[in-house]
Amino acid sequence: MSNWDILWSSYDVFLSGFYNTLKLFGLSAVLAFLMGSGMVFLLEGSRPRLKIPLRIFIDGMRMLPFLILAYLLYYGLPSAGIRMSAWTAGIIALVIYHGAYFAEILRGCRATFAQGQVEAAIAQGFSQPKMFLRIILPQLILKTRGLLGNQLIILLKDTAFLVIITVRELTAAASSLSSTYFIPMEAFIVVIGFYWLISIGLELFIKMIGRFGAKRGFENA
Amino acid sequence: MPETAAVSIRNLSKSFDGTEVLRDVSLEVQPGEVVSILGSSGSGKSTLLRCINWLEQPDRGDIRIDGDRIGVSDTGKPMSRRELAGMRARLGMVFQGFNLWPHLSVLRNVTEAPIHVQGLSKAEAEERAMALLEKVGMADKREQYPYTLSGGQKQRVAIARALAMQPKVMLFDEPTSALDPELVGEVLGVIKDLSKEGYTMVLVTHEMEFARAVSDQVVFLDKGIIIEKSHPSEFFENPKTDRVRRFLEIEAPTVPTV
Amino acid sequence: MDSGAWGLLIQGAWTTLWISGISIAIGVVMGLLIALLRVAKIPVLHQLLGVYISLARATPLVTLVLFIFLTAPTMGVNLNRNVAGIIALTLNTTAFNAEIWRSAFNNFSKEQREAALAIGMTPWVYFRRIMLPQITITSLPGLVNEMSFLIKGSPAIAVIGVVDLTRVTNRISAVTYDPLPPILAAAALYMLIISLLVWLQRVAERKASRLAV
Repeated sequence: MSNWDILWSSYDVFLSGFYNTLKLFGLSAVLAFLMGSGMVFLLEGSRPRLKIPLRIFIDGMRMLPFLILAYLLYYGLPSAGIRMSAWTAGIIALVIYHGAYFAEILRGCRATFAQGQVEAAIAQGFSQPKMFLRIILPQLILKTRGLLGNQLIILLKDTAFLVIITVRELTAAASSLSSTYFIPMEAFIVVIGFYWLISIGLELFIKMIGRFGAKRGFENA
Repeated sequence: MPETAAVSIRNLSKSFDGTEVLRDVSLEVQPGEVVSILGSSGSGKSTLLRCINWLEQPDRGDIRIDGDRIGVSDTGKPMSRRELAGMRARLGMVFQGFNLWPHLSVLRNVTEAPIHVQGLSKAEAEERAMALLEKVGMADKREQYPYTLSGGQKQRVAIARALAMQPKVMLFDEPTSALDPELVGEVLGVIKDLSKEGYTMVLVTHEMEFARAVSDQVVFLDKGIIIEKSHPSEFFENPKTDRVRRFLEIEAPTVPTV
Repeated sequence: MDSGAWGLLIQGAWTTLWISGISIAIGVVMGLLIALLRVAKIPVLHQLLGVYISLARATPLVTLVLFIFLTAPTMGVNLNRNVAGIIALTLNTTAFNAEIWRSAFNNFSKEQREAALAIGMTPWVYFRRIMLPQITITSLPGLVNEMSFLIKGSPAIAVIGVVDLTRVTNRISAVTYDPLPPILAAAALYMLIISLLVWLQRVAERKASRLAV
């Protein structure tokens, strides 16, 4: 049997790792984006109360490696009496960390937003949440799609860190197969191929949004 | 005096950083009336207009729309966001910079507030919007996006968008100041049509000839004070003050009226 | 945490810094070389480098570190953990730096070349004295930003047992049985390092914007 045959015989290990990585990625991407948008919404208005705490939180996250946050949640918090599974700790870390990055991307764009459009919405009687959801957020997404796409790819790659806190994702699958059968080269080539595939898929998705934006006169950000 | 005034402003004052831009301004606009606010730049005329729908909050005085006070609720406390939104929906505002929403098509720009603020169904809102786009001559551009339109076309869409809320009063904040001279006529034409249809309108403008042609009442603001308030024929032919006379000499008509 | 724990922590920080530092130094230069090769558009090589950049940008650092460390012995090379870490970090940061350099080349005005050749500069002198200094200044903010990203990605080398600033917290808590303080202390040290780089980036941005005027 060649090395590739050995790998093929354990394709279910890859598939479950792939599935877990996709699940980690999809779930935390959606939640992190919601969290980021929520923080930018809280910064709306002329004198938002949460401006300073949010600023500290966002800047703090941007100065930390992702893994140290995962360490904090998984290894550190039990000493404070908070215990969670590696999976839960991983998802929470991904959401908090990338939520802050999404918030920063959207906030930076919001700061350059033409005030007139917001006034037009206020003058028409839009409530604050509806205006944010229907007028501001769609434009922020169209304008920052390039940066959001990069951040999604970073999020995807950060899921691999979770192997270190024992989450059974894609990289963990390659690692365990390579140690069981001693075929690291083949195992990792397959896994890197998977990551590449998802990244290319994400890039295509961003291009699609780009076409949607170009039709509306939004240039590339 | 007929029944309730469409807009009634009493003793309005407003300052920015210690500089008074409006001083004790009072003004009534009757239903169906067209009132033009004139004055040199910095006279406070845009601020006055923006106070009417509470985009700027006055320091003193009160403003009533159809008899209902805006900005301050019956209990004397500042209005909640929701109450304020309800009052604002009675006023249509057209801005100098158009302020269309670039991510929405022409049609969606017009239907957005009727659907999401007034709660109209999509079909009702679209029917209403198409009639208005027809009126401003933009029906054939309904599927286009704002960046493909000229300034004049954008402003006509913005007028339709404001009308779509079926406001009691239309407010125009220098609607032609950002336009190339050759595009001014099409927008003034639309506003003139509206005046003939009996819309109540308050407009801040630099177009003297136009103000003269459409207004029932002309108000002249100088350094935040109304120094003349009269019928256009009297205002333009027989100004009472030297200040207005000087102003009219400088502001010679630039663009022929439609 | 006692002084022994702090000592270990500082050692971990030092490991993070020197391994990242070497990778950054090689990565900046290699990035420039690859950008030059890409700008030259040599057939086949251009596509190959494109595939490398695309792959390296899509591969998680942890996966890359494991790949290199576990694969090398099967090819008869026995890699020291630190060297495997440096190779992985370098392969990763080089790809990002190459794109930063390349976009600076692509945005460089062509008129200056004509002006330089017109006064008799050779293409090499033009590159060395006119183009490179300006491109370095415009690329610097991006390059420093990438340095922050590399430091933030560097804990990946913990997966093969390098005792860096992240992994050292496990070692300390194995003795003290309280992981929270060393993790918080490590986080503070990371913040210190990154905030230094963020400050450098601001300085670089100010320089670059002066050039743009």
